[in-house]
Amino acid sequence: MAEKESLTEVIAIAEGATHDPGIEKKRFNFLVWVSERGIVVFTIVLILFAVIFVNGFASLPNITDVFYRAAPIGIVAVGMTFVVISANYLDLSVVAQVATAAVIFIGVSNEYGLLASFAVALLVAMLYGVVNGVAVGYFKANAVIVTLSTTFIGLGLLRWISGGSIFFGPEDGPIRLFGQVKIGPVPLSALVLLVITVILWWVLTRTNFGFTVRAYGSNKEATRLAGVNTGLVVIGAFVITALAAMVAGFVLAAFSNTAVSAMADGYDFRALAAIIIGGTSVFGGKGSVLRTLLGVIFVSVLTNILVLSGIGFGFQQMAIGALIVAAVSVDALARRAAKK
Amino acid sequence: MTQTPAPATAQTQTMQLGTEAVGFVNKLRVSLARRTEGRGLALLTLVVLVTAFLEPSVFTSYQVTLGRVALIGLVALGLTAVILMGELDLSVASTLAVSGVVMASVPDIWLGILAALVTGLLIGALNAFFVVVVGVNSFIATLGMLFALRGLAFVLSDEKPVRLTDIDAGIAFGAPVLGPITPRVLLFILAFIALQIFLTRMRAGREFYAVGGNRQAAMDAGIPVRRRIFTGFMISGFVAALAGVINTLERTAADPTAGGTVLLASFAAAIIGGVVLNGGRGSVLGTLIGALSLGILQVGLTFSGVQVDIQDIFIGTILLLAVITDPTNLRAALAGVRASFRGREKAQAVV
Repeated sequence: MAEKESLTEVIAIAEGATHDPGIEKKRFNFLVWVSERGIVVFTIVLILFAVIFVNGFASLPNITDVFYRAAPIGIVAVGMTFVVISANYLDLSVVAQVATAAVIFIGVSNEYGLLASFAVALLVAMLYGVVNGVAVGYFKANAVIVTLSTTFIGLGLLRWISGGSIFFGPEDGPIRLFGQVKIGPVPLSALVLLVITVILWWVLTRTNFGFTVRAYGSNKEATRLAGVNTGLVVIGAFVITALAAMVAGFVLAAFSNTAVSAMADGYDFRALAAIIIGGTSVFGGKGSVLRTLLGVIFVSVLTNILVLSGIGFGFQQMAIGALIVAAVSVDALARRAAKK
Repeated sequence: MTQTPAPATAQTQTMQLGTEAVGFVNKLRVSLARRTEGRGLALLTLVVLVTAFLEPSVFTSYQVTLGRVALIGLVALGLTAVILMGELDLSVASTLAVSGVVMASVPDIWLGILAALVTGLLIGALNAFFVVVVGVNSFIATLGMLFALRGLAFVLSDEKPVRLTDIDAGIAFGAPVLGPITPRVLLFILAFIALQIFLTRMRAGREFYAVGGNRQAAMDAGIPVRRRIFTGFMISGFVAALAGVINTLERTAADPTAGGTVLLASFAAAIIGGVVLNGGRGSVLGTLIGALSLGILQVGLTFSGVQVDIQDIFIGTILLLAVITDPTNLRAALAGVRASFRGREKAQAVV
């Protein structure tokens, strides 16, 4: 896919050609500040607001519940950060990936044991990652369209093979046990999120692969000319997302000890919201896994506040959709402001 | 613009020095090479042959088939206008749902239709605002709108289907008016003709191709790029709302979850019909061919008793193949494979 600059940038270049900006001191810009540091302040303000004004937020069971719900979305989001940083927009198919993994973990382990279910889930996750990655990395196809089609293929296959039925795990099974372990108010799944975040933070900032992902996101052509096999970089980003989605499927299955094909609906846009609000740029190259973790906390607390206030699913979806649009708008405006 | 006729005419002129036949063959070759509908035609032929053989009732009860084609085709037409400029409108599915709910919520049928169409235009304008004025990438902006508007559809409808107050209008809408053609098919044909004329015969429409082909060049040539993109999103929003109206009239109720499969099918229709995602190439005719093949496929699968899940797999696979077999993408894949082998020999690649 040919590199296409956004419209306003082209216009800015066309308009800016006439006058020379010269050397300017870096002035304080509110939008740049919001897009880079805003998330920390917003998260703290939101949590303070919730603690003071929302009835029932600052109770131990509720906080445990927030952790439980944040963990799978968070694991998906930190994995998907790689795809967003590599300037490939997002991976919509996480909805199908998480649900497939959850159904495999409960369904297959009921029949053939936990180890077999891990093997199958790993195989399926690799398949998702490689198919998405090859189509986007080697065929240079648009990531949104590719993952939209793999979502429908994956969910269709899942519903067809599973017959759309709900799978229940045994009451004393290892998955159930995993879901019930808590350390104080913090469930084990939240610790899994933390561990995965640290691992992926290390991969993104300290390894050669992480460096090439960020380089590819900021300038595809330059990275290719530097001798990097860019196709493999994209495949790597999608495989990491798929593996994270697999773990998220396990955590989600352990949370409720049931699995059904529709259980991960909405994970795509919640994860995207967390990533973008965290300050990772959809233009690629800029962002971090730790920012995504903050974004996850923000989105989870916000969702929890909405639920506690008795606001319906429609309004929640509207709010998070609007949040995505607002966050990318701030990102785009800040980028332009920083370039001036 | 990619379809510059200049070299073609130069070639044909030199050829005319020879014999007439060579000139004609050459002309034909050039005009064929310019077309983008090849893959769409191949799929249509395949689908028509297979369904004619396995499920001929698709063609005998053509009212149903044409209705489906009209729904997919309408959304795909709007998408064509946007994709031609290298942008994307993912929000069409939710626009369809929201406008349907708006229409069913208004007691009077004509006022409802008017309100639905205005809603579509407003959504298109909002999308365009984010893309043109704010400068957000259209993929992400319209994706956010897709989620937000789906939520709006749920809020407006109270999360359940809204019944149409005037059910007779819905039934009348399904009755043929012009020979065997029902109003919804007629609307689709009119929209097709209007867009075809706009994109090939009118200056503003022709400039869509220029904007998609090379935005910088279009701007240098004095084309009002911002206004063209605004128009494109308005067209897409309006047409999606029209599809929402038709869908609601057809079912005599507005479903807030409507449009999921239509989104997939209409993207597949536009892309397999040869509209290049990077913009600048493609035709309304190709979209029509794509919509025909996907509509026939969907109705054929439904008539054969195939589950919705398997239909999703079919259409998803077609969309995936359509994106991958796009000529530019195929070329990129070949170049990538070649480069990766060369890269390994020259410098030990980093990854």
